[in-house]
Amino acid sequence: MSKTDTDSRSDTQTESQPLVDHTVEGETSEEIRDEWTNYDFDGEAKLSVSELNVYYGDDHALKDIDMEIPEQSVTALIGPSGCGKSTYLRCLNRMNDRIKAARIEGNVEFEGKNIYDADANLVELRKRIGMVFQSPNPFPKSIRDNISYGPRKHGDIDTGLLARVLGRDDGEREERLVERSLKQAALWDEVNDRLGDNALGLSGGQQQRLCIARCLATDPEVILMDEPASALDPIATSKIEDLIEELSEEYTVVVVTHNMQQAQRISDQTAVFLTGGELVEYDDTEKIFSDPESQRVEDYITGKFG
Amino acid sequence: MSQRTGISNVFDERLGDSTAFTAVAAVGALSLLATFVLFVVESDLASVALVVFVAAAAYGWLFHQAETAWGLSVLTTLVGIVVLGLILVFLFLEAEKAFETAGLSLLLRSAVPVWSPSQGIYGLQVAIHGTIVTTVIATLIAGPLGVAGALFISEIAPERVGELVKPAIEMLAGIPSIVYGFIGFAILNRYLFYELQLNTQGSLFLAGGVIGLMALPTVVSVAEDAITSVPESMKSGSLALGATDWQTMKGITLPAAFSGVSAAIILGIGRAVGETMAATVILGNVAGEFPNPIFDVFASTATLTSLIASQYGDAAETQLSALFVAGVVLFVIVMFLSLVSQLIERRMRRQLEGDS
Amino acid sequence: MSNASERGVHRDHSPLLPTVSAGVVGLSFLTFVLAWLVLFPILTPSTQLVGGVTFYDVFGLAMLLCGVALVGSGVASRTGYVPATPSATAGVTTGVVLGVLGFVVTGLFVSQTLGIDGPMGLGWFLAAFVGGAAVFVATVAPREDVGSTVPIGAFALLAGLVVLLGVIGDSWTWNPSGLAATFSGDMAVPVVALVVSLLTAWAGAKAYEGFGARGRQLGAYMFVNLNAALMLFVLFVLIAFIVYRGLPGVLRGAAVGLGTGPEVAFGLHLPFDVPFVTNSYGLRNDVNGVLPAVFGTIWLVVGAVVLAVPTGVGAAVFLTEYSREGRFTQVVEIATNGLWSTPSIVYGLFGLAFLVPRFGNSASLLAGQLVLGFMLLPLVVITTRESIKAVPDSYRDASAALGVNQWQTIRSVVLPAALPGTVTGIILGVGRIAGETAPILLVTSSSMSPFPASRFVPRVLSGFQFTAQPPFVTNTELLQASSALPYQLYALITAGVGAGAGSDADIDPWSTALVLLIVVLTFYAVGIASRSYFRRRLQE
Ligand SMILES: Nc1ncnc2c1ncn2[C@@H]1O[C@H](COP(=O)(O)OP(=O)(O)OP(=O)(O)O)[C@@H](O)[C@H]1O
Ligand SMILES: [Mg+2]
Repeated sequence: MSKTDTDSRSDTQTESQPLVDHTVEGETSEEIRDEWTNYDFDGEAKLSVSELNVYYGDDHALKDIDMEIPEQSVTALIGPSGCGKSTYLRCLNRMNDRIKAARIEGNVEFEGKNIYDADANLVELRKRIGMVFQSPNPFPKSIRDNISYGPRKHGDIDTGLLARVLGRDDGEREERLVERSLKQAALWDEVNDRLGDNALGLSGGQQQRLCIARCLATDPEVILMDEPASALDPIATSKIEDLIEELSEEYTVVVVTHNMQQAQRISDQTAVFLTGGELVEYDDTEKIFSDPESQRVEDYITGKFG
Repeated sequence: MSQRTGISNVFDERLGDSTAFTAVAAVGALSLLATFVLFVVESDLASVALVVFVAAAAYGWLFHQAETAWGLSVLTTLVGIVVLGLILVFLFLEAEKAFETAGLSLLLRSAVPVWSPSQGIYGLQVAIHGTIVTTVIATLIAGPLGVAGALFISEIAPERVGELVKPAIEMLAGIPSIVYGFIGFAILNRYLFYELQLNTQGSLFLAGGVIGLMALPTVVSVAEDAITSVPESMKSGSLALGATDWQTMKGITLPAAFSGVSAAIILGIGRAVGETMAATVILGNVAGEFPNPIFDVFASTATLTSLIASQYGDAAETQLSALFVAGVVLFVIVMFLSLVSQLIERRMRRQLEGDS
Repeated sequence: MSNASERGVHRDHSPLLPTVSAGVVGLSFLTFVLAWLVLFPILTPSTQLVGGVTFYDVFGLAMLLCGVALVGSGVASRTGYVPATPSATAGVTTGVVLGVLGFVVTGLFVSQTLGIDGPMGLGWFLAAFVGGAAVFVATVAPREDVGSTVPIGAFALLAGLVVLLGVIGDSWTWNPSGLAATFSGDMAVPVVALVVSLLTAWAGAKAYEGFGARGRQLGAYMFVNLNAALMLFVLFVLIAFIVYRGLPGVLRGAAVGLGTGPEVAFGLHLPFDVPFVTNSYGLRNDVNGVLPAVFGTIWLVVGAVVLAVPTGVGAAVFLTEYSREGRFTQVVEIATNGLWSTPSIVYGLFGLAFLVPRFGNSASLLAGQLVLGFMLLPLVVITTRESIKAVPDSYRDASAALGVNQWQTIRSVVLPAALPGTVTGIILGVGRIAGETAPILLVTSSSMSPFPASRFVPRVLSGFQFTAQPPFVTNTELLQASSALPYQLYALITAGVGAGAGSDADIDPWSTALVLLIVVLTFYAVGIASRSYFRRRLQE
């Protein structure tokens, strides 16, 4: 690894470098960044984000994000901890509405309409833009009920005495759905003999895969994943990676990851966020990792900071 | 935390005066014990022992504050246990006479009248029936409405509104029961009497309704605590799947808070069972005969509490003792409910901690 | 079954269904309010409004309209005339609610109107069961837009017709066998209107959002919000009513101005005079007042606080700072929670059995103070413990690191930090015991007249006497019975005072209730305000 002028600096100083750079670059940085973040791709944009700003109280967490996310592909979001990746992801299905301190400005267009319009239907939106959270959050219910929770709430699955009497029992379809989702999430083999057990009894990694399966079961069009593999062992991780690649044939996947190799392996395009909530560069994954435009991005992916 | 129990190392440093202090501490402890014993045996000397204790404590406070503070805090901790023990002992002691005279017919008598002090008949069944009826009515009101109120405050209302409603509900709890009773007595009793052409002023129905209103705030605040303690991540998980807020409450939040919410309802039941003045003022407090038929909620009998409050004044010895039996029954019911709700709450805490 | 992909994430903008259902909800709400007004006879139901129309007719018409609109909405949605997103079924909850309603209506109709008893008196039950089951099936079997509107609409239509045609009206009465109550039309019509208006508003709210999950959410929120609003309303009405009835009595003879009030000390007078509070009962008074009760309450509260606060704080300190979690703390916790839930009347009995015989075998202020103190104790322990626990460990560590011993740390770091929470808890607790009646009734006031003269004002401070023999200190004032505000109210009620318009010589129970309410709610208001103040400061 070639050492440049940062050679003599101590670790702590290195960490503060981007801040210093940022202030030194001044006005010009804005222009350059716009250039680097204008990503041209073939095909349709599933989501297009423009002039998105997020504040937590006085804290400006995301600054002027413009980004078009192409459909049926995998978009990776990388960046140092605390740079706003999760915040950004939560903007895409309006989960930030749950955070009282958060204030969101700007547009996120889904199918040509702004999801932040007053007449947006949050339920429909979240049904079609699914999400897997950074830390696993299974419901305190059985594994089966965790999977069928979404379809049940959307009225796609109906079981129980009344449904049976009325001849609408979907028990079989439920079983098939549970099996398919769990297999997709590479969890089936481990839990198929205890689908009735409480999901809180699973290990952390299993819980995370359960949450992925739960998301897939509602059959969304876009899947937002916040570090889906952070709690998994290498085998499960590679299964999840395969799954993501497979999903991109049909779905639009946006995935946050801290693992550069993973981003390289699975994504078609990569967006790099840096401390302070800026989107610094957004391009084909290959381009980002082989020949980034921005010095800061190069520093980040070669491990100089972050 | 574990480091904070050491008092012995302090002793080591001051070995010199520790013997004098130990003596004073012993005198203090003994004199307090003596105060208690003398008070129980109804001796005037209790106050002397108390003075000795105060003197010993004052000496300790001035010269060995740390140790004295520790000692006093131990003593104060014991007060609660001692009081509860005394309540238990004296309730049973006073109830004994009635048990000797009336035996199990206190609770199991089948002939009417079941309660007639002038004939020396002391059975509590009618009052127990009244307590059950009013408590059921109160629970039917306070349970669902209380849980709905808790959901409103913690999940549905905008923050501002919630901050307004919460203290208002506490205020509702603050209105003294005698005031509720007075309104029931002066306004609602009369209203129902004329509107429904009742035979008597006052009815179990009305008493139950008023008691329900009084138990409502307890249910709201305890259930609200339970609901807020459900982790946000669970709720987000449900919402992110496209469930509505209401589906999330029904499907995730309430089931996860189930133990806490049931503890809230149990506490509400406990309040309703023990509520005295509203029932006393609203009801006719006759405990001789069951309503006819037994489910006639417009009858005006008595509850255990109202029986005690309305009859202790001119009660002769056995009657008073029978009223103490009513107290024992109340005490046992409420202790049981309190224990159950504590168990449930502990389970809930373990559940929610266990999964994080 | 899922047509999700055809649905946009934005709402459909066809206004017909929302407009009609908003109309239903609005009309139902008006009916609801009107029904309460008629029920608590603020309005007389048979009043002739314009053109001989009575409130009965208004109720009937409103229910009829809602019914028609609901049935129409359901049919329009089912035929696809208006866009909606209904689920497959209206759901078990709706089914059960309507099934029970169907059971009750069929049962009443068969047993009361037709007078059919059937074999073993069970005929009506069988009929009711069949009716209820039929309504249940009619609700859950069709698609949600029909199931959640048509049965309710039909019920509203039926009720509307019954009222409009005068089947249940002015001269109608019903004395159900087995209940000591008789229902008249004046009572029945508004009650029916109440039930129907809630149901139609529910169905209307669902239809407003186009049924489905969001329709159900709106329907449920409507009830939850209504419930919260009613709680606020009840609080407001209770307080307003007592103020309205009690204030004239409290202010009788009241004056404001320099030197008008009673003397405080050294010839200084309070700048206001409220004889109802500052006078006792006396034959020669212009205005009789409740001074003995006010002082009784003050001394009871002071005594309870003196006993319970140091004890409770001490116990909380021991539990949180000195002892480790274990068997002993568990026992204490159980005892504390037990004391907290012990009914006040049981405390009263305990005082009667344990304290009264030891204080000269008569009711006394001291016994009341002790009993109320015991009642306050668990509350002090619980709240103090909570606020001590909330003090971050870093405070203690910082202090310990400076070589300060544990007690000094508790005294100078932990307790001050826990003070706000503790004080708040104590204030709220005091509010509660100040209004307690039952224990005082048994141990302090039992023999007191509802009209205590001025010699019954407890003068505790001047009552101490020192003697040479044990018990050295006596205080006859403490050992005397005393009145108190809640007891005073109780005594007035049992004495039947104030049933009519109170004469000047009487003590008005409403005014007594108002004074009591002011005392208690002041404690609550101060406690709640200080809590939110400290909480806000903590967050900053
Ligand atoms: N609920 C919140 N309230 C206030 N500030 C928040 C909240 N959530 C996040 N933040 C702040 O917003 C910034 C971005 O946070 P975010 O969680 O999006 O980072 P991240 O990139 O996902 O980090 P990580 O890789 O560690 O998950 C951080 O500075 C964080 O402190
Ligand atoms: Mg994150």
